[in-house]
Amino acid sequence: MNRLLLAPALSLALLTPCAVAQDARQIMQEVQKRQHSTSQHYEGTLEVIGGGNRIATKRWIFDRLGDFGNSKGMLRFTVPAEVKGVGLLIVNHPDRASDQWMWRPNIGREQRIALQDRSTRFFGTDFSFEDLEERDVEQYDYKFLGEEAGTWKLQSTPRKSSQYTYGYLWVKKDNYTIVKIESYNKKGLVRVIDYRDFEQAKGIWTARTTEVHDVTRNSRTILKYDKLEYNIPMKDAGFTLDALRRGA
Amino acid sequence: MMLLRLISWPYARKHLLRWLLTMAGIVLGVGVFVGMHTANQSVLAAFRETIDKVAGTTQLQITAGEPGFGEEVLEKVQSLPEVRAAAPVIEATVSTGQGNLLILGVDMLGDRSLRTYDLEGTDEAIDDPLIFLAQADSLIVTRTFAEKNGLQVNSRVPMRTMQGDLIFTVRGIMKPGGLASAFGGDLAIMDIYAAQKFFGRGRRFDRVDLALLDGVTLADGSAKLRALLGSGYEVSPPSSRGEQFEQTSRIYSLASNITSIFALFIGMFIIYNTFAIAVTQRRSEIGILRALGATRSQIRTLFLTESAIAGSIGSGLGVLFGIVMAHAMASYIGNILTEVYGVAQRADGIQVDPVLIGGAWAMGIVTSLFAAVIPARAAAYVDPVKALQKGRNQALSEGESLLRRWAAVGCAAAAVIAVIFSHSTAIFYAGFVLGGVAAVLLAPSLTLWLSRFLRPLLAFLRPVEGTLAADSLIQSPRRTSGTVAALMLSLALVISLGGLARSSYDSLADWMRIALNPDLFVTTAQSVTSRTFVFPASLGDGLRAIPGVDEVQLVRSVRVPVKGGPVMLVALDIGSVERRAKLPAVEGDAATMYRRTERGEAVLASENFVRLHGGKLGEVLEIAAPSGVLKLPIAGIVRDFSDQQGSLLISRQAYIRFWNDDSVNVFRVYVKQGAQDSDVRQRILDTFGKQQRLFVLTNKDVRDYVTRLTDQWFGLTYVQIAVAVLVAILGIVNALTVSITDRRRELGVLQAVGGLRQQIRHTVWMEAAAIGFIGLVLGLLLGAVELYYAIEISRRDLVGIDIGYAYPFRTALALAPVILIAAFLAAVGPSESAVRGSLVEALEYE
Amino acid sequence: MIHLQGVTKQFAGKRQVTALERLDLHLARGEMVSIVGPSGSGKSTLLNLIGGLDRPTEGEIKIDGQALSTLSDDGLTRVRRDKIGFIFQFFNLLPTLSCLENVSLPLHLRGWPRKKIDERARELLDLVQLSGRLEHLPDELSGGERQRVAIARALSVFPPVLLADEPTGNLDTHTGAEILKLIHDLHDRLGATILIVTHDMVVAESCPRTIGIRDGRIVTDVRRGDARREMSRA
Repeated sequence: MNRLLLAPALSLALLTPCAVAQDARQIMQEVQKRQHSTSQHYEGTLEVIGGGNRIATKRWIFDRLGDFGNSKGMLRFTVPAEVKGVGLLIVNHPDRASDQWMWRPNIGREQRIALQDRSTRFFGTDFSFEDLEERDVEQYDYKFLGEEAGTWKLQSTPRKSSQYTYGYLWVKKDNYTIVKIESYNKKGLVRVIDYRDFEQAKGIWTARTTEVHDVTRNSRTILKYDKLEYNIPMKDAGFTLDALRRGA
Repeated sequence: MMLLRLISWPYARKHLLRWLLTMAGIVLGVGVFVGMHTANQSVLAAFRETIDKVAGTTQLQITAGEPGFGEEVLEKVQSLPEVRAAAPVIEATVSTGQGNLLILGVDMLGDRSLRTYDLEGTDEAIDDPLIFLAQADSLIVTRTFAEKNGLQVNSRVPMRTMQGDLIFTVRGIMKPGGLASAFGGDLAIMDIYAAQKFFGRGRRFDRVDLALLDGVTLADGSAKLRALLGSGYEVSPPSSRGEQFEQTSRIYSLASNITSIFALFIGMFIIYNTFAIAVTQRRSEIGILRALGATRSQIRTLFLTESAIAGSIGSGLGVLFGIVMAHAMASYIGNILTEVYGVAQRADGIQVDPVLIGGAWAMGIVTSLFAAVIPARAAAYVDPVKALQKGRNQALSEGESLLRRWAAVGCAAAAVIAVIFSHSTAIFYAGFVLGGVAAVLLAPSLTLWLSRFLRPLLAFLRPVEGTLAADSLIQSPRRTSGTVAALMLSLALVISLGGLARSSYDSLADWMRIALNPDLFVTTAQSVTSRTFVFPASLGDGLRAIPGVDEVQLVRSVRVPVKGGPVMLVALDIGSVERRAKLPAVEGDAATMYRRTERGEAVLASENFVRLHGGKLGEVLEIAAPSGVLKLPIAGIVRDFSDQQGSLLISRQAYIRFWNDDSVNVFRVYVKQGAQDSDVRQRILDTFGKQQRLFVLTNKDVRDYVTRLTDQWFGLTYVQIAVAVLVAILGIVNALTVSITDRRRELGVLQAVGGLRQQIRHTVWMEAAAIGFIGLVLGLLLGAVELYYAIEISRRDLVGIDIGYAYPFRTALALAPVILIAAFLAAVGPSESAVRGSLVEALEYE
Repeated sequence: MIHLQGVTKQFAGKRQVTALERLDLHLARGEMVSIVGPSGSGKSTLLNLIGGLDRPTEGEIKIDGQALSTLSDDGLTRVRRDKIGFIFQFFNLLPTLSCLENVSLPLHLRGWPRKKIDERARELLDLVQLSGRLEHLPDELSGGERQRVAIARALSVFPPVLLADEPTGNLDTHTGAEILKLIHDLHDRLGATILIVTHDMVVAESCPRTIGIRDGRIVTDVRRGDARREMSRA
């Protein structure tokens, strides 16, 4: 389940509210099906509202190619100037955690992001490197918990290593979009993600704003998606280490 | 107790000055001991503390000697399921204008799971590692360092790197405490990948720090990691680095141990002396006590208690003195150890170890008690009838001195036998001790003989004063023998250490002439031993291309684990070295050993490696390398002073193959015939100096550096020598003070019959000079023996090199005036007090 | 020869003790005087003051016209060395030196040439009838012999003043008489001014003049015609 970068895609198109309400996995499969796209492009704007309401802004361009859970993503920072050119290549695998590399133009080398570091915060934001991964529905166990104000509330439990032990998801009945996720670890609630401002693009319902709340640090990150496009032609060659180094 | 108050206290009060002088012996002995050890321990503790603080929650560290290892090791380690977090580290000490700065290269992404970076404010730049990482010039410094250098966030810090002179930017300031207080707060954090670049590390890490998952034991985790990585790697808790450092600095502790014990030993003689005198002076008092019913054991207890009290006061003062001294010495020792061993530590404060203090205190008391045993026994056996008869003080009994002489002869004979069977360490050291004991036992008899020999000489110089001075010595050997023994021991110490230093310098000079013969040395730092930065091998080609350069030798020296300890491995072009700087072979066939080593089939071991780590010609050494354990035989043993702990010479090709490391510490540059060293040096600097951190040292620079290092090494030894001599001179003051008290009446008569004050002074001075002379003669003689032992100890257990026996005649010659002048100075106080007292009282003095 | 005027000596301490009080005394050249008095009367103090071993609290002492109060310590020593010979009750010989060396001592201190010292020392020991004991140490001599060595030492430079503090006090009667005779002989032969402190009335009365001291004051001053002749007649 992609929690963030692909969040607009994840919360995709409006569909028939037909699914058997009790079968949580079916709901999630439907969610995944509706957000399906072969490729995606957007420009993200990120605002971190930390302690004392200090706001830090970053911008990036994101491209993604491939089927959900088996896709590749390339993220490139554009703002602020100090980080311009820093890139992140994400290669998702359906059966295991993704591979991630960061490109550091200043010292001219890429750096692998180790699995153990995936729980650390993604560059001072309120989400972690793990939150950047796509994980197929098959990597989780789901439990249906009930209905709440036009949504289904589900519990998800990761089948393999994750910083989270379980999470709650709220899926809108009418269009199968995820509107809220709460993630827990052994100590309790860690993050809350809210999806807002849904719009349809190329037939896929997409939240234009995502807000992540880090409960332990009490800080928020707001991510806005612009110039969102689906299913545009992209090449595999644009998602390799070479491409990362070239700074496409 | 009553006896103490009634009898001892008034006596002590009356002879306060002498007691103070006596205690000075213990004060210095204990002080030197406490000072040296506290300083040593503080340096060690500082090092440990730095390790601890830098380690954070690290449970295990993976190392492979100084060369480090490739980045792939990190992923391997991280892949192990038992590992919770593993982070790479590069640790480097760079010198700034303000002293050394410890730079910790870490991966900011993963490192926070091991270390806490408590930053001031919530600075965005650091809070956001993206900016820290994206900007390679980022540094996080501690508040301590920032305040010391007037730095703030975004301040610029220039630093000379392998990429040339660069400006770094402070992007964060750490709050004091924890990590930020490591290395005395002179600490900076840098991104590890930037550090690789700036320190010339290539794609290598110095080590990997890791923490295990909860529930995984250290033993289990280490075993899994060892199995995973193979034998070329060491997996150990951070604390074991402290042990390694302790091992490397072992020589230093041992050397300071020997000298401080020597100081205490000398102090013991002063105490013995004082008590022997006190017993003689208090004979009638003892007689009265015995007549009034005191038992022998009460008398003995009285004297032993006095010595215990004097010992405990003296030791207490000594401890204080030692702590003061440790303050002064800690940073000095720290610097030496940093230079010699290249280990980052910083001892700003000192750590007082209660066990050490308690031990030293107890040692002072025991020494004092031990010194008083014989005098206390003598006191117990004072014959009350004889003691109560008025008359001269009892002279040294012939029987006692005969017994002692026989004991001395026995000890000397045993010492000679021990020399013959000296291949056993225990027997050798026993011989060393016996030799010293024999000398000490013989001291009183020798003092007597020498005084008799001196009498006509002194009488010739000054008929009255000279004769009286000599007679004073002859009459009371007990009064002076302790002082003479102390003086003898300290001078023997001077001679043996001086001779050791002389011989060391000579051998070192020989080695420098042979081994350090390149015209220029291209290094990464001002000091040749610094291994913080390394050059890429490619620079060698560049240097060869410089006009005037004849030959360039690439040297990579690293400490790697061999035989359980870190040993200096020197990788160089053996063929070229054989042609240019062939080290003298101690063992092995000089013709073939270089060839075999050049082919990578063997190594050359230094003489001291073989001595200190054990090993022999032809033995196959197991050297841990990242690609597995390297098994190479010792093809030859050569005399090499590259490292105190011994060195191994290996062919550069073999090193590159097994360590996958082609970097270079030093380029040894030979200049073509006819070309000027200074021109070539300038050309090298012009060509590479801008783009690269690089120093070009001339042959003289390097030799001076080595000499300076040796000077520093012996520097503390000289301090200790000075202390020993000072103690001995205090002994002279003591002996003279007693002497003039004993001779008050005699000196009074002398004045009554017309002796001028100057003449009285002369006799005291001549007595002092005679003590000095006798001590000098005995000391110089004993020194000849002690020097033999010093050189042997150094060969066997300290540096492992046979530096050859050469008596330091010049030192001996220089000592004569020093000691005579010191003796004269020691006599000034007593001689003045001799001429100032009341004549009437002196004449009535019993 | 010896002139004391208003000499007072006090010893400081917890309780101030006045040993001599405003004492006036005049001894002519060549006079032989004994001083008697009980213990603590101040007679030894008087001798020490005259010998320059100590200084008076008040008053003036002149030896041979030389006022002692104007002299430094070394100046006092020079006066002692040139003009005064001491004879002590306990002899005060240096135990490590032979008879000859003990007698030579003052001469060496004056820096005489060795040959002359040797001659004079032998001459003096001959004078006290000890020529046979030149190389003996004091411990090897009898009490009377030791005192004779001490007298020889006191006479080494033929001083004009000879001060003797209980010269027979440590000797048996017979030996004491011998020593006293020796002193009288020397007085006759050398004509020195001799001052003997004693509480032996035989010794005191053998002198032509006897001064009695009590509590720091002169209480009697007796002159006899020729005491020695009287004594020898007796």
